[in-house]
Amino acid sequence: MALAAHFIDRPQRWDVPFGEQMTDEDVERLFEIEPFCQMDQGRFPSAIPLHGILRNDTRIVRFAPGDIIVREGDYGSSAFLILSGQVRVALESLSARLLGRPNKPRGTWWRAITQLLRTSQAIEQRKQIARTEQQPVGGVARRADANQPRVFLQDVPRVLAATETACLGPGEIFGEVAALTRSPRGSTVFAESEVELLEIRWQGLRDLMRRDDALKSHIHELYRQNSLQDHLRETPLFAHVPAENLAHLTDAARFETYGNFEWTPTLQQSLAEHPSQRIAAEPVIAEEGTAADSLLLIRSGFARLSRRHGDGHQTIAYLGKGQTYGWQELVHNFASDRPMPLDCSLRALGYVDIIRLPADLVRLLVLPFVADQELEQTLQQAKARLAARDETEEKHTSEAALKSVSLLEFLVERRFINGTQAMLIDLDRCTRCDDCVRACAATHDNNPRFIRHGPKHGRFMLANACMHCVDPVCMIGCPTGAIARDEQTGVVSINDQTCIGCTTCANACPYHNIRMVELRDERGLLLLDRQTELPVMQATKCDLCTDNLGGPACQRACPHDALIRIDVSNVDTLSQWVNR
Amino acid sequence: MHPLQRRFYRNLILTTVLAAVIVAVHRWAEASLFRADVYSGIALLGGVWFLALIHLRKKLSTLPLGNVSTWMQVHLCVGWLSILGFGLHVGWKLPNGWLEGTVAILFLLTAGSGVLGLYLTRTIPKQLARVGEEIIYERIPFFRRSLLEDARRVLLEAAAITDSPVLANFYAAKLQPFLAQPRPWTYRVNPSNRRRRFLLAEFESLSRYLSEQEQKLCERLFAIVRKKDDLDYHEALQSKLRLWLFVHIGLTYPLLLLGTLHGILALAFLGGM
Repeated sequence: MALAAHFIDRPQRWDVPFGEQMTDEDVERLFEIEPFCQMDQGRFPSAIPLHGILRNDTRIVRFAPGDIIVREGDYGSSAFLILSGQVRVALESLSARLLGRPNKPRGTWWRAITQLLRTSQAIEQRKQIARTEQQPVGGVARRADANQPRVFLQDVPRVLAATETACLGPGEIFGEVAALTRSPRGSTVFAESEVELLEIRWQGLRDLMRRDDALKSHIHELYRQNSLQDHLRETPLFAHVPAENLAHLTDAARFETYGNFEWTPTLQQSLAEHPSQRIAAEPVIAEEGTAADSLLLIRSGFARLSRRHGDGHQTIAYLGKGQTYGWQELVHNFASDRPMPLDCSLRALGYVDIIRLPADLVRLLVLPFVADQELEQTLQQAKARLAARDETEEKHTSEAALKSVSLLEFLVERRFINGTQAMLIDLDRCTRCDDCVRACAATHDNNPRFIRHGPKHGRFMLANACMHCVDPVCMIGCPTGAIARDEQTGVVSINDQTCIGCTTCANACPYHNIRMVELRDERGLLLLDRQTELPVMQATKCDLCTDNLGGPACQRACPHDALIRIDVSNVDTLSQWVNR
Repeated sequence: MHPLQRRFYRNLILTTVLAAVIVAVHRWAEASLFRADVYSGIALLGGVWFLALIHLRKKLSTLPLGNVSTWMQVHLCVGWLSILGFGLHVGWKLPNGWLEGTVAILFLLTAGSGVLGLYLTRTIPKQLARVGEEIIYERIPFFRRSLLEDARRVLLEAAAITDSPVLANFYAAKLQPFLAQPRPWTYRVNPSNRRRRFLLAEFESLSRYLSEQEQKLCERLFAIVRKKDDLDYHEALQSKLRLWLFVHIGLTYPLLLLGTLHGILALAFLGGM
């Protein structure tokens, strides 16, 4: 079997460019406008020339008035530079009906039945890997199909009248936050007039920023401003705060980043260290026992709340995007003469973006607009914590909910809190029958997309299955954008047609949940690279059975309720299952 | 009350109520001079076919036919009721015809293996979870070979630092057979740590003849013994979990075949009802 093989060309970056309509003339035109005319082409390596990036990682897209360009809540992997025309950014959420969110095509009974009837036993068969016609121009290739259906607002004047919007014109960039932070789009953007945009996929944007300092600082400034405004608007605490107060807060807010955005390479190394060394290495955002002089909002990433315990630090809770720290202390200090210091330390896990709001401004601009009942409740909680601190160790939310400090430490230390669909197995109920593995294989080309094995804590095991992370670091570095988030479901999946088997995602995944597999053709023969004569590999991982009816096959196949796909970042759902 | 406990009690009450209804209906049918044995037989055969459907559901993993865990709960409920139905059908005594007798024995063996399986699936996972490492059953032979290789490497290290044959002789006599071979069937039936404790005692008594360096190697060897013992424990318990299911499903096919044949023959030779 190993000798029988089918030779093909190994897939390369830019085999499937971002769009097919880009021509040399378009690229020349881009070289005449900012920021590209200011860029030093000599700073780009010969393997990734600026010309190549513009030709392969960008595309020119045109929208008619009313067309929606990006929708709030969608996951996007590209940013837009306005070449001509004007767009509007909706500063308020538009309704789903108005945004024309289509129902995702689901699997059908017919497809499910035909899947069952397939008799081949070979794993990971590929009918054909799509290749576009090559036109070598300076090492770049022609574009693939870029036709996309457009969703448009039927009554733009009415939307403009009813919704607060901001106007953006030629030369301005939008969508960069979602593209660079692997987060959902914060706002809906639609065309106000005929617009021509340069859409830059994030791989290209990353390369441009790496080689052009001006663009990098411009993007960072935009990122900072947009993040602050969006985040304040989304935080429940500020729900009733007037817009002008929010504007003052935005001006005064300090945007801080702790830790390393590329946190994954050091994770395994840090796990080998003693817990005290690990926690000491985490950047401190706020120190236990110090004065509460600001309100901290977590914009992205995760932070650990810990408290001194003996000679070490005990994890009390973990905080993620949208959560705040210091509110109880601030409310207490406003109402009492006896100042309450910070009860815990806040430390960056990996990386975390923080918005720091000065206490005085919070008192002036926020406090008057918080409901009395909520204030009273917060005050009572703060007083109770203060009273309990000297007497006993009171239980904080996460610890109390999970009823296990060590489980909490385990989830935090190994960053499983990153998972939105982690495969958690209750070993007290799991009979090791492997029905989950068989069900997964049956729905995925005879190749189970997970391993029923993984880190274990007590009776719980986090199996090696893709967790569809809050921060999917596997997407960093994919040269073709083959690994991407589904815009509606947030599921991270790999596109067979554009994966070039470079192993970047598999190496980047800190949880070892992406596997490289050898491809075979329809006859079951290995696909070999013509040049190296080595098997052509592709990355595979759990796709949460999004194409199938009924949801993840693994969870549905477990006869003993031992397996669940669960959002570990949500301590409430986690504790419900753990304590069932 | 935790959700799983709540489900257990809910299903227990439901099964008990249904059992009471079945008994009441059967008595009423007998008192009314209906052919209660015929109706109970048809219901029983239907129940057995339904019970077998869970295996089909597992095979049809791509179809949205509900969670297997829900099927399992229904399977358990119908399973208990079918045992009651069987008792009512045969009048709580074994039939004397060869076909009826064979079907009855097959039913009892299948139901018995099911009850045993229920016990095993509720107890063994907890025992396995207590062992430090989680081991995939299919990879046990690989791990066993790997441990043997590790032990041999330790022995080679010992040979490099001493001329004394004590450790080598101990390995050849006691450790090699333990590490190289699977455990006997008696261990598989009732796994215990007796052998581990025996070897620990042997290691302790051996230490007086070993140098300090050899003692360190000896500790590494004992760590390997512990791993092998855990491996055997996993193998024994996971084998049980696999074997009961193999027997349970294996008995189901002849039961369905002969049970259906019995039903057809019974109806064909029933005469006027």
